[in-house]
Amino acid sequence: MIDAIVISNVLLWAVVLVLMVTVLALARQIGILYERVAPMGALMLDSGPKVGEAAPRLDIESLSGSRVAIGGAGNSRSQLLFFLSPTCPVCKKLLPILRSVRHSERSWLDVVLASDGEPAEHLAFYRSAKLTDFPYLLSAQLGMALKVGRLPYAVLIGDDGRIRAKGLVNSREQLESLFTAKELGVASVQEFLDQRA
Amino acid sequence: MMMPLQVDPVLSHAMGAALAVVLLSGAWQKLREQEAFAAALENYRLLPAAMVGWMARLLPLAEALAGSLLLFQSTRLPAALLAFALLFLVTSAVAINLLRGYSEIECGCGGFGGGVGDQSISWGLVARNLVLIAAIPWIAAESIPRDLVWMDYLTVACATLALLGLYALVSQLLATQPRLSALRNS
Repeated sequence: MIDAIVISNVLLWAVVLVLMVTVLALARQIGILYERVAPMGALMLDSGPKVGEAAPRLDIESLSGSRVAIGGAGNSRSQLLFFLSPTCPVCKKLLPILRSVRHSERSWLDVVLASDGEPAEHLAFYRSAKLTDFPYLLSAQLGMALKVGRLPYAVLIGDDGRIRAKGLVNSREQLESLFTAKELGVASVQEFLDQRA
Repeated sequence: MMMPLQVDPVLSHAMGAALAVVLLSGAWQKLREQEAFAAALENYRLLPAAMVGWMARLLPLAEALAGSLLLFQSTRLPAALLAFALLFLVTSAVAINLLRGYSEIECGCGGFGGGVGDQSISWGLVARNLVLIAAIPWIAAESIPRDLVWMDYLTVACATLALLGLYALVSQLLATQPRLSALRNS
């Protein structure tokens, strides 16, 4: 009798653990599905102007008072628009990386920070995070024109005023993938991988 | 504080081990992504700016200490008290922000659910933490003295894994919940 109970107990534990792993795997897969299906979850957002199209032309006053022209042909330099917010932890994690990108790519690229909301809150963030080296734009219009859904979001605009690459960026690798995408002439590194697959 | 609660050692061992792993993995994630954790902490808007940096270091270290002390029977009681204090602290921080209506902020929890910035706060999260808190008296309680046989060790090992699995499952479902409601409302 005891033997039977011991064996059944061991067997039941084995089944419980296998089921546990299975349910966990299913929950993860459902999570991934939501991410793929949801319009806001995907790395590459399909709304807004497409890669290759002209970026909206805007002239916006930055927090420091200077005017920054977005888009438009005939610029000698490319622009990286980085959309962030003072309440987004991942954005803050990327700030040191943006500084190093600004420095290492300064021969051809201007890094511009963009957001929208209460000027007072952004001004405090602009000073406390020591962002005064960057132009910082507050414009709901810019975000809407480019259909920015999730942060941190980056848009690379070429010197011809056309969008070269864009996407949600969570890490240095994803930020650098925008430059790679520009060099390869594809919309995103995902698209490049899809083409090769 | 209450009548001396006596529980079977198998229960307290399994729960203690599971809570230890939960705390240690959370601490490890927070230490690994310290900047993101500090930024998440700042978003809670409960601490003066000067204290955020300190707290971002102190919390994961205390969490790691509680987690590692829980692993040993002799230090289990102080570890359980520390874990209780920590969980109480962070859960009230989450609840305060939910009551203030800031439900969009990131949890900064780390641990099994994924990275530090993967989960936004919700009442589900508070409920999950309350279950963890409710487990602490069982862990700290005195064990009924009895001899453990090999079967008990098997039960402890399997129950620990099953509890951790359940915890990971709940965290996973909590992390995907906002995406589901976003889909439903779109």
